[in-house]
Amino acid sequence: MATFQQMIAQLQAFWEAEGCAIMQPYHTEVGAGTSNPATLLRVLGPRPWRTAYVEPSIRPDDGRYGENPYRFQQHYQYQVILKPAPDDSQDVYLRSLAAIGINPLEHDIRFVEDNWESPSLGAWGLGWEVWMDGMEITQFTYFQQAGGVELEPVSVEMTYGLDRIGMHLQKVRRAQDMEWAPGVSWADVYLENERQFSAYNYELADTEMLARHFDDHEAEAGRCLEANLPLPAYDQVLKCSHAFNLLDSRRAIAVTDRQAYILRMRRLTQAVARAYLAAQEGDDA
Amino acid sequence: MPDLLIEIGCEELPAAACREAERQLPELLTRSLSEAGLESRDARIHVGPRRLVAIASVPPQRDAVATQQRGPRADAPEPARAGFARKHGLAVDELEQREGFVWAVSDGRAAPAAELVPDAVHRIVAGLQFAKTMRWPGGRFSRPIRWLVVKLDDEVVAMELAGVASGGESRGHRSLGAVRVGSAASYLDDLRGVHVLADAAERRELIVEGLNTVGEWIDPMAKLEEVVHLVEWPVVLEGRFDERYLELPERVPITAMQSHQRYFPIVREGRLDARFAFVANGGDAAVVAAGNEEVLVGRLEDAVFAHDKDQARGIAAMLAELPRVSFLEGAGSLADKAERVRELARQLCDRVEVEPPLREAVARAAALCKADLVSSLVAEFSDLQGYAGSLYARDAGEPPEVCDAIADHHLPIEAGGALPADEGAALLSVSDKADTVAVAFALGAQPTGSRDPYGLRRAAAGIVAIALERGYELGLVDLMAESVHMLVSQGHELRRKPLEAVPDAVDFVLDRVEPLMAEEGVTVDEMRAARGSGVTGPLPLAALCRALRDARGAEWLAAIRDAYGRCIRITARAAEQTASEVRTSMFEMDEERALCAALTAADIEIADAAARRDYASALDAAALMVEPINAYFEQVMVMADDPALRGNRLKLLADVVSTLRLVGDFEQLPG
Repeated sequence: MATFQQMIAQLQAFWEAEGCAIMQPYHTEVGAGTSNPATLLRVLGPRPWRTAYVEPSIRPDDGRYGENPYRFQQHYQYQVILKPAPDDSQDVYLRSLAAIGINPLEHDIRFVEDNWESPSLGAWGLGWEVWMDGMEITQFTYFQQAGGVELEPVSVEMTYGLDRIGMHLQKVRRAQDMEWAPGVSWADVYLENERQFSAYNYELADTEMLARHFDDHEAEAGRCLEANLPLPAYDQVLKCSHAFNLLDSRRAIAVTDRQAYILRMRRLTQAVARAYLAAQEGDDA
Repeated sequence: MPDLLIEIGCEELPAAACREAERQLPELLTRSLSEAGLESRDARIHVGPRRLVAIASVPPQRDAVATQQRGPRADAPEPARAGFARKHGLAVDELEQREGFVWAVSDGRAAPAAELVPDAVHRIVAGLQFAKTMRWPGGRFSRPIRWLVVKLDDEVVAMELAGVASGGESRGHRSLGAVRVGSAASYLDDLRGVHVLADAAERRELIVEGLNTVGEWIDPMAKLEEVVHLVEWPVVLEGRFDERYLELPERVPITAMQSHQRYFPIVREGRLDARFAFVANGGDAAVVAAGNEEVLVGRLEDAVFAHDKDQARGIAAMLAELPRVSFLEGAGSLADKAERVRELARQLCDRVEVEPPLREAVARAAALCKADLVSSLVAEFSDLQGYAGSLYARDAGEPPEVCDAIADHHLPIEAGGALPADEGAALLSVSDKADTVAVAFALGAQPTGSRDPYGLRRAAAGIVAIALERGYELGLVDLMAESVHMLVSQGHELRRKPLEAVPDAVDFVLDRVEPLMAEEGVTVDEMRAARGSGVTGPLPLAALCRALRDARGAEWLAAIRDAYGRCIRITARAAEQTASEVRTSMFEMDEERALCAALTAADIEIADAAARRDYASALDAAALMVEPINAYFEQVMVMADDPALRGNRLKLLADVVSTLRLVGDFEQLPG
């Protein structure tokens, strides 16, 4: 039986053989692998791109102090982007499951309609959640729009829920009981992390500071855009997003302000997307 | 006649798209073939998640048909003539000249079916209307098209669609790979060999049979039709769960099974059993059942956790959170919403004259009904809205009438869906929905085209269905005006003037009466005539529609329409010359006095009958006006030289129009 880290290594090897650039997790907090610039910005414009990477997704409001078997304020995604989406996207995906020991003849694997949208990223796509014996293990999406820009060509995104797949493969009922490395459990690695960060996210985080940070990062993103530096600008947007998520978990966002915050992030992301594309067109010209 | 087989192979189509294709394909197939020049018969459609299949008998060829088409004038500029020639596959000097025009004349040409089929296939794919479509590198459809089989008997028809070349090879169940398809006749069996039941009816039958073997299954959330399109090779399996989850209130485990997982709960002797049936698409039965059981335990655990947490918190604590939760952008919080619903419910109870105990229960339920939107249970299972609230209200010692009113106040969930059985829930549902529609319109958030993010069409259809079922006189204008008024007094800013928004919102609700009336055989013209009466409630509108339908074809109805038309035409032409009121002292002719007397009588009769919603009698009263109107037109010089006299005579006719219009804008009826 593969450990959690072996399962990741198998996915890395599989997607490397499929011609993907194996990236590393992004260096600032993201709520999903989609927000990593290796996805959100690279799907813009005409240049082909194939990448795969592990992304620890930071979602403060999903924290349960390590007590819930599935929900954590940090969970692991495996993110794949194929641009343009190949004709055999689904088949390649199913082969990747076989590569980590999921035999498609043994399991009931299905593609069940699920459409994805991120208002703050100005992004949406159509696709499925992939079910294995009734359990959702992957979000499979044909991106239609990102940063408010219609995508041409269309990319396909596969986001594996590594914790769930790992639990299933190791036949354990709690992620905490998964074997991360030989003799090392998930709980050994992350339980304390979940406890402390749940406490911080829900009880301690300084909301006034976070609100100020949001404003500051937003302003800094604006300055970067004025200087035509969309990549640093996007990092600032990600920092805004994390501040927003923390404010949200602290219940510090008034209902009337919520939409306004999301709109501010969407506007910035759209400006970043336009600047990023303009720079690319400049290079290609 | 040869048999045509078209199989459009797709990545998994959503169940809703399958149903759209099922509805559209029969007609679309026949029409597309006909437009391509082939009159087909015996159309058969098979729809499933990975393939849309159309089969028909077509003639082996299209016969030669001579045609001639007139083009631009003979002296038209060269590019115009050249363009016309090109369109018909001719050179400019092949065009004939006659009667000052150029003509494209063709003897026609017989064409074999194989040459015409590709055009038909393109028409079918372009003609399918899906609510949602996506782009992929290759095209636009509900989901990507990945293979294409087109055969006339056993011959492949070569063509290309969305970057895919046709062939004779289809794909079987995902675990089994490709299969050669013989012909239309062998298609279903060929696919069966690779574990695909292409026909939806066959799958449904097999699923129902399998479910019956497991036990007495229920499907309160109507998942069966969806499940039929989630599998190609249905295998019904049984799962079990721990008895202790049956301690949860019954609708909780039922929702955990049905809402996301699409499982079918099993009942025994009227009580929920600790078993469920589900439909797999293959795999090792033991492995698949164990996996699904595990998933369900996870969901039931979530339900227990959420239910415990909610019970510890209590409904009072939930209520206290409502001021911080937004309802609809710009419409304040859920507490504001609850306050408005409470006031609307109070007005509605007065209007439909419910007994005081129920009135109090509904008012209390209105104050509590939004509390569960901040509960953990509803966060996990949104389908438990209302029901969750009723559980927590009961825990807090609220009386059964209050709990029952809360439980089903979200019904109907969709147009045509089940209505609240409880009267309190029905009253609360109407009040809640009327507020949502009114507020959305006042904030400029009304639906545009197919966009209806707040589900306002569904809400409006719910209002109408409940009003008609229970015979409620809603006073919709007053209710909706009250919502908007309260929105302002709660300190929220309107984005539209109430004088525009409220009538628009009322009209929007009345629009939902029309599909129901169409089902009862009311024509579009009759509906327009009834809408033209200016009635503002679903109940009188429906009553008037039915009365006009029942009177269809009667001579007296045609006579009202003609008399009404005469009055309208003359008064519309001379609107500025009309006096402000009728002065009987200025009457000179008996016909004037007679019409005025008839009008007075009709005013009373019509108002009286309309108040009773007895529009048949109201129409009878209107019919009594015909003779005096016709006599008036024959004997009285309406456009008299004296402006005062003319103004008075016009005014009498204008009043006649106003009265008659109360039973319909008769001009809308066919002549």
